[in-house]
Amino acid sequence: MSERLDALEERINALRAEVRRAVRARDGALARSLRAELRGVERAWDQALADQEPPARETPSASEPDEAPRAGAAREPGALVPVREQVHQALTILGVPASAKMIVAVHGALRAGSLRGTQLASLRRDEERSFRSSPFARPYYLCAALTDRLSASRGLLTVSTWPLERRAIGPLSPRVDFLTTAIRVAEHILRLEEAGEPTPSGAERLLSRLAYNVPGVPVAPDAPPRPAMVVKAARAELEVHAGADADARARIADRARARLGDAERLFGGTILSLAREEAS
Amino acid sequence: MERFDRLRGAVPARPHDARAIAALAANPGCARRAVMDAAGVDKDATATHLGFPAPFGQSPFAITRGNAFEALVKDSGCAELLRLLRELLGLPIPLAAYTDLGDIGGNPSAHLRHAHTLKLIDRAARDDDEAGTLYDHPLLRLEIAGHTSYLEPDVVAFRLAGRFHIVEIKSFAIVDGQAEPDKVAAAARQAAVYVLALRTMLAELGHDPARVSHEVVLVCPENFANRPAGTLLDVRRELAVLRRQLSRMARVGAIVDGLPEELTFDLAPDADGVPTRPVPELREAVRTVGARYAPECLSTCDLCFFCRDEAAAGGSTELLGRQVRDALGGVATVSEALGLADGSLTPGEGQEEIARLLRLADRIYAEAG
Repeated sequence: MSERLDALEERINALRAEVRRAVRARDGALARSLRAELRGVERAWDQALADQEPPARETPSASEPDEAPRAGAAREPGALVPVREQVHQALTILGVPASAKMIVAVHGALRAGSLRGTQLASLRRDEERSFRSSPFARPYYLCAALTDRLSASRGLLTVSTWPLERRAIGPLSPRVDFLTTAIRVAEHILRLEEAGEPTPSGAERLLSRLAYNVPGVPVAPDAPPRPAMVVKAARAELEVHAGADADARARIADRARARLGDAERLFGGTILSLAREEAS
Repeated sequence: MERFDRLRGAVPARPHDARAIAALAANPGCARRAVMDAAGVDKDATATHLGFPAPFGQSPFAITRGNAFEALVKDSGCAELLRLLRELLGLPIPLAAYTDLGDIGGNPSAHLRHAHTLKLIDRAARDDDEAGTLYDHPLLRLEIAGHTSYLEPDVVAFRLAGRFHIVEIKSFAIVDGQAEPDKVAAAARQAAVYVLALRTMLAELGHDPARVSHEVVLVCPENFANRPAGTLLDVRRELAVLRRQLSRMARVGAIVDGLPEELTFDLAPDADGVPTRPVPELREAVRTVGARYAPECLSTCDLCFFCRDEAAAGGSTELLGRQVRDALGGVATVSEALGLADGSLTPGEGQEEIARLLRLADRIYAEAG
């Protein structure tokens, strides 16, 4: 069986090289057919690998019964990974606090994941419960962003390993984080292009949606914006806000360090601590 | 105040929301609505008990669509809205701060949220550079006939060059630069409520209320896509109507004084909240206060079906809409108008002109066959 896998891997590598040559030679038709063949071989490889696995290990995602029926055709890359892991991946790509909607969009576009918004609904609460019962038992927690009142910002998710400054949300932070998101998505697409990988159409759609609200990106009808232009335009606006935003975030982070306990620092202060804050 | 309590019965007064306040301005001439609203009567329950439940309240689909569109506009720190404002009003790039006034941790009381809104708006009005630009979910307050109502607006206020603007997000489409006029009018009336409330707040804080612009930004989906587009809407007229209507409500005492002393709209609910008041008695009570029905009421007032039925029973010309009613000034019922037209009725004093026009119309119809 493993010989078959080896053969398939060789074939995949050869096909990738051919796709790259075809793309460089701007032979669209050839590149398309080669890509189709490549996908076919990759599926065969997936299948061969799945056949080798002992059946018990095939479904570690018992918490996601909905995924099972879809796994038959071609297993989605994200389906074997727990939801929190997938969210962590998306947040790592972005590097800024993000809403559940953005996480789902980014994960769907760049990781070909199949996250759904509803799966994220109770995530933060579950993480908080886990943290409170045994603090720092996990390598990372998905936690809250902190508002200037040191409470959990509504709907935003962050990673506990990030510095507090990044998890704090000042008045300019939503804009800064939006621009950073656009830059990160564009850079991810650039990396794919450099590696000769085809850009997933979902990623292009996501990028054009983001780029539409970045001033200075040339808009051409019917054509997706060029990632390099998006990076440049977003950086230009980012520069305007960066200083003021960093100051505001540092101030919030300092206050959070001084006033909040471990759990509150991760998951946001309560009304009581807010009242203390008001009184002081 | 006791008079209003008696009119309402032993239930707490119903708070007003912007939609209800805007609806008030839609039909300023209606005494029935003015009295019942001033007393805080639950009109929906009254209408249901009378056997005319209103087809009222938005459809859940419309609400979902409205919320989804609003979320789209406000996504990622109002990214779409910032683009619109930059295009429409030339908002400078550095002004991009976004503050959610509704997000102060957990689910605190309206009072606390209002205090928070006050504090930040005050700071913004002092032109503090760091005070921010966009303010989401400000909790405003408006005094209506002696009651203070909190307005829970899904609205964004923003500050540009020392002036505040209100942004109203609506999910009806602007197709080819045109939108349904009555929907735009309703949006303008609602926005006017917020403008007025924000002006009141600035005045309370000791700032110049005129710093709230009378031009509101209306954000709607454009054409057949879901992409938001913005337009400026002048709400000066709506503001004037609203102000007049609110001051009328403050003076609604004059109308109430003319009503019988023992009049009440009390539904006499039992322990389970089921109304026990005899329906004919309640009908008489409601009829004591004159209504001014117009077909527009059907989209704004809970009592609309009751008033329509009343107008139809009396053959009133009001059923045919405001324009017809105004054109038939001095002629109260449809049968009277028909009688004047075919000449079976002699016009009374002051009716000669309208009778001549009606007869002319009748002759034209007869000739046209």
